Amino acid sequence: MSATAELISADILLATKPPRRRRKFPSLGVVFAFIWLISLTVCTLFAAYIPFIRDYDTQIKVNGKTGRYNLGPGWTAWMGTDASSHDVFARSIHGARITLMIGVLATIMGLVLGTILGVLAGYFGGKVDRVVSIIVDCLLALPALLLALLLVYRMDDLKSVYTWLGWLDRKWEITLTLGILATAPLARIVRAQTMGLREREFVLAARSLGAKGGRVILREILPNLVPAMVTVAITGLGILIAAEGALAFLGLGVERPVTWGKMIIDGRADLKRAWWATVFPATFLFLTVVSFNMLGDRLARRFDIREAAI
Amino acid sequence: MSNISQASSRDTGAPLLELTDVKTHFRTRRGLVRAVDGVSLTLERGKSLGVVGESGSGKTILSRSIMGLLPTKGTERHGSIRFQGQEIGNLGRKQMRHIWGREMAMIFQDPMTSLNPLMKIGRQITEPLEIHLGMDKDNAWATAERLLQDVRIPEGARRLHQYPHELSGGMRQRVMIAIAMACGPTLLFADEPTTALDVTVQAQILDLLNDQRKERNMSLILVTHDLGVVAGHTDEIAVMYGGKLVEKAPTRVLFADMKMPYTEALMQSIPKIDDPSHTRLLAIGGRPPDLVNPPNGCRFAPRCLYARDRCLTEEPPLRATDNPEHTYACWYPVGSAEYYQAKARLAETPVAVGGLD
Amino acid sequence: MRYALQRFTQFLIVFFLVTFGVMVFMRIGLNKPGDPARTMLGGTVSQELIDSTTAKFHLDSNYFVQYWFWLKGMLTLDFGYSAPNNMAVTTYLKPRVLTTVFLGVYSIFFALVIAVPLAVYQAYKRDRSFDKLSSFATFFFISVPAVVLAPLLKYVFIDWLAWFPRLSSKIYPWDDLVGHFKNFFVPVLVLTIPLAAVWTRLLRADMVQTLQSDFITLASAKGVPPSRVLWGHALRNSVFSLVTSVGFQLGGLVGGALIVEAYFNMKGMGSLLVVAILSSDLFTVQAVSAILVACVVLVNLGVDLSYALIDPRIRHARALS
Repeated sequence: MSATAELISADILLATKPPRRRRKFPSLGVVFAFIWLISLTVCTLFAAYIPFIRDYDTQIKVNGKTGRYNLGPGWTAWMGTDASSHDVFARSIHGARITLMIGVLATIMGLVLGTILGVLAGYFGGKVDRVVSIIVDCLLALPALLLALLLVYRMDDLKSVYTWLGWLDRKWEITLTLGILATAPLARIVRAQTMGLREREFVLAARSLGAKGGRVILREILPNLVPAMVTVAITGLGILIAAEGALAFLGLGVERPVTWGKMIIDGRADLKRAWWATVFPATFLFLTVVSFNMLGDRLARRFDIREAAI
Repeated sequence: MSNISQASSRDTGAPLLELTDVKTHFRTRRGLVRAVDGVSLTLERGKSLGVVGESGSGKTILSRSIMGLLPTKGTERHGSIRFQGQEIGNLGRKQMRHIWGREMAMIFQDPMTSLNPLMKIGRQITEPLEIHLGMDKDNAWATAERLLQDVRIPEGARRLHQYPHELSGGMRQRVMIAIAMACGPTLLFADEPTTALDVTVQAQILDLLNDQRKERNMSLILVTHDLGVVAGHTDEIAVMYGGKLVEKAPTRVLFADMKMPYTEALMQSIPKIDDPSHTRLLAIGGRPPDLVNPPNGCRFAPRCLYARDRCLTEEPPLRATDNPEHTYACWYPVGSAEYYQAKARLAETPVAVGGLD
Repeated sequence: MRYALQRFTQFLIVFFLVTFGVMVFMRIGLNKPGDPARTMLGGTVSQELIDSTTAKFHLDSNYFVQYWFWLKGMLTLDFGYSAPNNMAVTTYLKPRVLTTVFLGVYSIFFALVIAVPLAVYQAYKRDRSFDKLSSFATFFFISVPAVVLAPLLKYVFIDWLAWFPRLSSKIYPWDDLVGHFKNFFVPVLVLTIPLAAVWTRLLRADMVQTLQSDFITLASAKGVPPSRVLWGHALRNSVFSLVTSVGFQLGGLVGGALIVEAYFNMKGMGSLLVVAILSSDLFTVQAVSAILVACVVLVNLGVDLSYALIDPRIRHARALS
């Protein structure tokens, strides 16, 4: 709304009939975000059946030989080849599957943990709130990437000591780590929202009718938290994907298939000579993060959740 | 700008403010909102004018149009606004800035939100003094202290160092008045100055405004939805409806002999002390007109109890009664034969009246 | 005062908990006697060295005792011993801390220098094309991960335009001022751009809201010039989210510094930490995380207290409590 419209609304619009509801088309950005995310997901899920996506290990030969960056972007390899003659496009797609999976699972984990902590703190207040606040503050006090490094690396170590941790491969380590990272901010937002909801009429009504805490939380509070949670989860997904990229960049990524962050740092030394090996994975990462941000931003505006706005 | 105030010396024969066919339209997504649609009036120096109407009548926009306080984007201004003999209707914010605070000042409705919460009130009062009159700091603060005395705030020196949240609502409104009067403006706008205040404080503030007006020979435009507020405090009253001026008269004349059914309806919607208790107040039925597509004919006709076919098709012009200072826009004014006929008919069918509230 | 004290204790608790947590987390799993020392020293080392190191740093006592000794050392700025480098952590940390401090301070400074005027101007010219265009740009830049921005800017400024030479090893301004800035320009840019974008968006949103308040209209109606309305009245009323965010973003900034240092081969705390973690350099990890946590905690404390400086209402409410 323009400044004018707001000024008038105080006085004039009161007097005018409400405008006819026109169907609003989503903005260009949201449409783009949808198309990008959906096509990326489809490509990663069905990579094996899509003819133009090469296998992960296929090497491209020029004149019968492999070679470092032997092909630039072109018809044969759309995004050129990397240091080991692999198709950058195919590797980006295969990497995307892991990245997206880690992002989604970590978000779900963060949502579950964050909601439990946040609802408890927000609903019961007092000592529970104190304890949760300290936990959240502790998690936020250590820079996220540092915490992630620490967790991932030590989990590797612990695996060799405690055999029951054997199922933890890199993929799961990163997922767990990012899930823990996502918990603190989510808990914060859920706590704030819950505190607001707790004082709303319908919750007070339910409580005055004698509903117990658990029932009020499940029936009255949780359903009303959904918009905020979805919004934050979508924005958070973008952030977690960037974080996964950063971890891979620092050498703590999934070894196989390699993800975008690893591809970017691998291309570092030859940036000038073979820009494509860096630029395309970077573009993939950027577009994915932008898309999630775009959707999250739109949802935040739609549901008026300021904490989630970026 | 010094040349504005000096060139048009304060004793010229021209009226202080002269509006001719002022229109303020807003371009919105729904279409052109005709918030103020052809208002003409004059105001003499030292006089006070009450502008009355419901929300949406354009009274606030009119006062802001005169001050030039509207956003420039999406706003169309037409007609002429002459202030101290000089045309100001076409001035931009840049030029108006030298008039604001110095020649014209405004008091807002809500003293709770109209003072900067992070600034000492002393600073807020001295700001225009320093900007317009070029006072140095000590001088300005001394003046501010005197101003607080004028608006009857005790312990002014201490108050100057307080923040708005430390003052009560009435006190804050007094501070606003002090700010408005700081540079000795010739024209003061008060936009619903008492609406947000306790009833007990309302009268004090209005009296204060009036006293200061007389003392400083200012003109006052008091914008309100409440005829009761303007009754004892203004020389003249202008009634607005749907962006138009529908009746204007000296206060006493208006209350004694109103012509416009809308004015009558407004009057009936205020409680009176001599009514028996539990008397039903008459509300005005319907909604204010849509300012994008205003009704044909008289804008009040769709809600008017006495409306006839002519009212729905032909727009009544503003015309004067025997008293040239009393003008109104109605085909069948209060007191005309048609008015009494309609009134008699209504009395027979009480249902229609009952359906109004 | 009571409020400040309460906040201070809370932050102190957080500091102790986190540093203790890091210490424990670095040691769990190292259960057999001598394990911590063996891991720390790395490779094959003699039993005597392991035993002496264990004894010297009390690595066989329980966690609380170890923490106590560590804390005592901290107070005398003795951060312990970095086994892989065979020197005291303090000596070998000092130059590295400076690099990261330069990175952090410069990027925060430039981010503010960009964000504040930009946001104020955007809010002033709200919904005009400048506002729309720059809002789009800030949204864009918020979404660029450092991982993407680092190679991009390196390519543009260092490889393609060749404005800046390969980063030299002279990093101190007192050695070579021009070289110092040349060194830091691109890395700082990588950190500044997203930061400036976040802050611009935050501040713009708040400014837009503030500019609609009655007191802003009143300020204009007093004849206060627009620049003074914006900078004198509106800005101060709009900085709360920004100030809060400075505390929040610090953690992210450290993460960004990690990436930048890794990508540009700078010898800072971040790159140091990565190496330390990978080589189980217990005391270095503890020292670096303690420094970082202390920074975050202190900045948040400062943020909390600065609310009262900005807003007299908070000041008074706290004075009463």
